[in-house]
Order: sequence, then structure tokens, then C-alpha cells
Amino acid sequence: MSRSKNLAVKYLIAAVLFFGVMTLSGLLAATYYINPEFLFGLLHFSIAKILHIDTMIIWLLMGFMGAVYWFLPDEFGREPVGIWAAEILFWVFVVAVLVVAAIFVFVQWGPGTETTLWLFQQGRKYVEAPRWAAIGVALVMLVFAWNVVGTAMQARRITGVMAVMSVNMVPLVLLYLIAFPNISNMAVDLYWWWWLVHLWVEATWEILIGCIMALAMMKLLGTSRQIVEGWLYIEVALVLGTGILGLGHHYFWIGTPDYWLGIGGFFSALEPLPLLGMVVHAIYDAGVHRMKTTNRPGFCWALAEAFGNFLGAGVFGFMITLPQLNLFAHGTQWTVSHGHFAFWGAYACGILSVCYIALQEQRRLATVDSSSWVWAFILLNGGLIGMAGSLLVAGMAQAFFERAIGGSTLEAFIAGQENPWFVISMYSRFGFGLVFAAGYLALAWNLLTLGRREAAMSIRPVVPAE
Amino acid sequence: MSPAAFLLTSLSLGVMVLAAGAYALLYGAARLKNSRSLFVLAGLAYGVLALDAAGVVLATPLALAWKLVIAASALAYLRIPPLTWGYLQRTHRDEGAHT
Amino acid sequence: MQYEDPNFWRAGAISTTVVMAIVLVMLTIDSLDAINPGGSHVPPYTVINRHIEYAHNSKLGRDMPVIGSDEPLFGKSVTDTEAAALIEQGKLVIQSRACIDCHTFMGNGAYYAPDLTKAWLDPAWDAWIAITGAESREEAMARFLMAPEQYATWQRKMPDLGISRDEAVATVAYLKWLSSIDTNGFPIHFGRIKVSK
Repeated sequence: MSRSKNLAVKYLIAAVLFFGVMTLSGLLAATYYINPEFLFGLLHFSIAKILHIDTMIIWLLMGFMGAVYWFLPDEFGREPVGIWAAEILFWVFVVAVLVVAAIFVFVQWGPGTETTLWLFQQGRKYVEAPRWAAIGVALVMLVFAWNVVGTAMQARRITGVMAVMSVNMVPLVLLYLIAFPNISNMAVDLYWWWWLVHLWVEATWEILIGCIMALAMMKLLGTSRQIVEGWLYIEVALVLGTGILGLGHHYFWIGTPDYWLGIGGFFSALEPLPLLGMVVHAIYDAGVHRMKTTNRPGFCWALAEAFGNFLGAGVFGFMITLPQLNLFAHGTQWTVSHGHFAFWGAYACGILSVCYIALQEQRRLATVDSSSWVWAFILLNGGLIGMAGSLLVAGMAQAFFERAIGGSTLEAFIAGQENPWFVISMYSRFGFGLVFAAGYLALAWNLLTLGRREAAMSIRPVVPAE
Repeated sequence: MSPAAFLLTSLSLGVMVLAAGAYALLYGAARLKNSRSLFVLAGLAYGVLALDAAGVVLATPLALAWKLVIAASALAYLRIPPLTWGYLQRTHRDEGAHT
Repeated sequence: MQYEDPNFWRAGAISTTVVMAIVLVMLTIDSLDAINPGGSHVPPYTVINRHIEYAHNSKLGRDMPVIGSDEPLFGKSVTDTEAAALIEQGKLVIQSRACIDCHTFMGNGAYYAPDLTKAWLDPAWDAWIAITGAESREEAMARFLMAPEQYATWQRKMPDLGISRDEAVATVAYLKWLSSIDTNGFPIHFGRIKVSK
């Protein structure tokens, strides 16, 4: 197997492991809502939340990188340029993440100085990691971009998918620079911070997962390159056509001019349209191929991607995106329900699909279709939908009682948090979180053991297949 | 906007997009199976969407411009599944896989 | 048919992206102008020397901050330079303690603790003036920040983050300035309860 594919497997394993850390820290964060005294004085909500959201970004990034390193040698017909550097940086990346996690848990914060920002805590959401670690991440991403773009430039021919991916690398990497500065003015800070967050998860990441799913579809269904590339260009046009100015839906309330209410609301309202197209495409693929594929979990997770993206980002997003409604829902658990569902559907499902695709080739399995993957699929998706549903109820209660009625003071906040609908939802969310965690364990076990039993069994005589 | 109106409007918009998803799912299934009853169900799903959108336009305190956006979206959701399906059929035609 | 040709959609993708990006850049230039201190939506840092309120503006149809007469923070009027230094220090405190991972600022952050956009204007501080034995709102806020476990607000206690006196003063200054930003009416009718029909 090529060096790039070996590296890909390492990245996918690391991704799945950090997915586990994300799940555990999510359960921890959820615990505080039920028992606010838990670990008080030792480890507080903020640290659990930082671990939870940061490992989410890390595991998804590692998943993307794993997927790309997996497909790269087949796309270019050669080992990517600079793969040696990527191999070293993989370990740098993993160690850096572990060190940062340890700092978050054991050091947690420092005095209000630049030194703290450099060494321990930057305290900006998703990019809390200290600057020394941010430099490491930037380096990893630069080499990743070089592996893709450098190989593209050297290749005699470049495929459409690789061209889109290569061009997309540039803003993807450049946007990360926004993780570095300390901007005193909160309005300006949030203005640029949203360039990083939105233009990652609602633009460049969408293009990247679009490229990855295009490559996955060619593998899973044998779809022709011309078809997936045509579709990819449509996706890029619609996603960026709505998403670039859809960034404005984060500029309603941060001190920016009020023309953003109109611009952001309008383009954001258009964002579900391409997602509906993706759902239709998924149904077409599933139906026309009569669900026949040599890799059933890979295909089912790809379907989950299309539906989850539409439901989580499209449906849940549309409920709260118009500015006159967002005024009430902004900064409540409604946002959390949308966030969980959208990230799951748009990215997590796609990466899990790639895990199964890579697994099939790596373990040389003619087909991947035992029943064991189904447990993980049901528990993870069921758990996630349950969590998002619980958070939706909590968010609606909060928006109604704290914002719409209460006037958003401390007293109103407390009233919202103590509302019975909210309280019950916190228990329900935790319960479904446990379901999700069980799904994660089933997934990890399945990825670890898939195909190994069959391979072992094949050397024994006359054992019926499952 | 009153608290109740806000909650109702938000939920209505969610229902609208959800109905669009149901319509797309049923429409696709109908095209795959060439089933009249599935086409009818798809039509019903779109009916839910249309009624919901009408409700938003007629009974919510959104400004006129936003109501126009909702109405236009409702029309777009109607056209997206058949347009997409047609595009997929034509592009897959040479693959020998078509419905 | 041109719609079946990937190159048609590629041209569409490129042109759409370029146009949208250009518009975004133009709007960014205008917005940055508005959100820099002294811009149309963001008062200069020396607003911390003034009285700040938040009231409904019937002409605009929404809530707006109202900047009033002199009201120096901690009894001391500050110059431009001193105000900027306080704001810079306050933001360093906010980042070093990861406040945004429990609280929200203009609705952005974490949802475990209250939104701090208008925290300066919260009526609850009246009670904390008495509880902390302070003579003013800002003094009560500073004492709370320095010993939050001692002056707990409710069952979810804010942990002690080792905030020094200087840091607390800077953070209070930051929150006062933050409350003066025109956020297009967020949060709606702050401090005023609406009766639901």
C-alpha cells in the first residue's frame, strides 16, 4: 500500500480516537447541566466544552486529511509530493493535540497577559489552543496543502475534483491565520472570527467534503468521473453562491451595520436549496443502484450524510435564520441543537463513509456487509437525533421564556434554565448522549474487527458465511 | 413580534423545509418505482409545504419582503426535485443506468 | 445540451464565487469602518466615562444604547490612552480565562452562563451592591469577579479564576464599553418583561 494510504489510515484512526474524546467530553459537559456541583473547583464546564468542541474540529480535520491522503495517490497516479513531511507532521499533530488537552485540563488558564495566550489559553471559541499549538496546526495544514497543490502542479493532467480541491486549499489554510491575533475590540474580533468559522464550515469545508464524497461515489458505485465532476461544480456554485454572503447571518448582532440583516438573512434562507438537491441525488443513487454496492456501511453513511446535512443544516438552520426570529433564538440551546445536527450530518457521516471505504481496500474485503456496522449506525444516528431534538425543546423554551418574555437579564436567564421543559430536556439530552456513546463504542469495535474474523475464518474448513 | 408568534413562525419555517425533504424523498421514490400512489403522496407532501408557506405569508408578522422570499422558496422547492432528477437522468444516460 | 456539460457549471462556479467574494470584500471594508471605535455602531473606548442606557427607539423600531452624561468608572475619568489600555487588558482577561466558553458575548460563545452583552445594565447588580458591601455597581462587579464563589448568583456557580483587582477593574470597564455597542436591538427589550398573550 502506498505511503500516502498508510498515512491516511493513521489519520483516520487518530480521527476516530479523537471522536471518542469528543464524545466523552460531551457527556462531561452535559453532566454539569444536571449536576452543577460536579467536579467544582477541579474541572469546570468551560474546560469540558473546550475539549468537546476542539476535538470535534480536530477529529473532522484529521478525517478530511485521512480521506484526502487515501484518495490522492489514485487520483494523481503517484505518491504525493512531500509525503515524508506529512508523515513526520502527523506525529507532531497528534502529540501537540494531546499536550494542549493536558494543558487545558491541568493548567486551564493563566493571568491576562500575552504570555498566557502564547503558552496556555487563547480563549476564542474553537481556537482556544495556545499560539504555539496554533503554529503547529498551521504548519500541518500548510504541508497538507503542499501535498495536494504541489502534486497537482507537477502532474501532467489534473482531474476536475483535484482542481477544485487544490484551489479550495488556499482559502482553507489562509483562513486559519485568524486563529492567531488578539483583537481588543470584540466586534472586530467576532467579525474576523466568523470569517474563519463560517467560511470553514459553511464554505471551504463543504467544498472539501464535496470533493471527498465525489471520490467516494466513484469508489462505492462506480459512477463516472464526468458525472461526479459536473455535480461537484454545481455544488460549488450553489454552496458558495449562498454561503459566502450567507456569512452575514452571523453579522446580525455583533455591532455591524443593519444591512447585514437583509443580506445575511436572504442568502442564508437560500442555503437549504442546494442541500435539497443533494438529497434528491442521494435518492437517485440509492434507487438506481438498488442499494447494490460492495460496501454497504460506506454507502449508508454517505446517504446519512446527504439526509443529515439537509435536516441538521437545512431544516434546523432555516428555523432560526431569519433575523427577526434569530433575535430570540440567538445564543440559546436552539443554536446548539442546530450545531450538533449540522456538523454530524454535513461532516461526521461523510468521514465515517470514507473510513469504511478505506477499510475495505486495506483489509482486502470483496464485500463489506456484515450486520455489525448496523448497531453503530442506529445508535449513533438515533442518539444524535435524540440529542438534537432535546436541545431543540430546550432552546425553544429558552428563547421563549428568557428572550421573548423575560428580557434576557440574569433573572430571565435563570428563569429559562429552570423552566421544566428546559430541565427535562437536559436529562433527555444526556440520555441520548449515552445512546450516542454506545454507538461510538460499537463503531470503534466494528472498525477494529471488520473483516478480520472473516479472514481468520477463511483458513478453517467448511464454516458457513454470515 | 409576540413570543407566541415568534415560536409559531420559527416552527412553521422548519416544517416547510421538512415538508420539502419529504416531497423530494417521495418524488424520487415515485420516479424510481414509476408508482402513481407515490406521486400522489409526493403531491400531498408538497401540499403540506404549500399550506405551511401560505400560513407563513398570510398569518405571521414577517415583513412583506421576507414573505416574498418564503413564497419564492416554496416555488423553488417545487421545482428542485424534478429539475435535479431530469439532470441526473440525462447525465447518467450514457452509463446505461436510468429510470 | 450545455446544462449537461461540466464546463458550463465550472464557469458558473468560478464566476459565482468571484462575484460573491468581491461583494463580501466591499461590505467588509464598510463594516470595519462602522465597528471600529468611534464608528457608527461602536462608541470610542472613552464612553466608559459616560452614563449608558438601553431604550426603545421608536423611529428605528428597535432598542438602542443611549449615551448620557458624565459617569466616570470607579470615580475616575480616563483619557483615550487610559481607556484603550483598560479595554486591551480587559480583553486579555476575557481570553486568558476563556470566558466565552461559559458565557456569550453578543450571543456568541457558550450557553452555560448568561449573555454578557448588556451585563453592565443588569438590574441584578443592585442586589449585589448590597451583598458585596460595595458603594457602586462597578465596585460590586469587581468584587464579584475577584471572588465569584463567595457571591454566588445561583446553583451554577462561577468558579474562582484568580482574577486580580487590576484585571477585575479592566474587565468591568470592558463590559461597560460592550454594553454601549449598537447591536441592532439584541437582546430584545433587555430588562423589560413582555407579557405573553
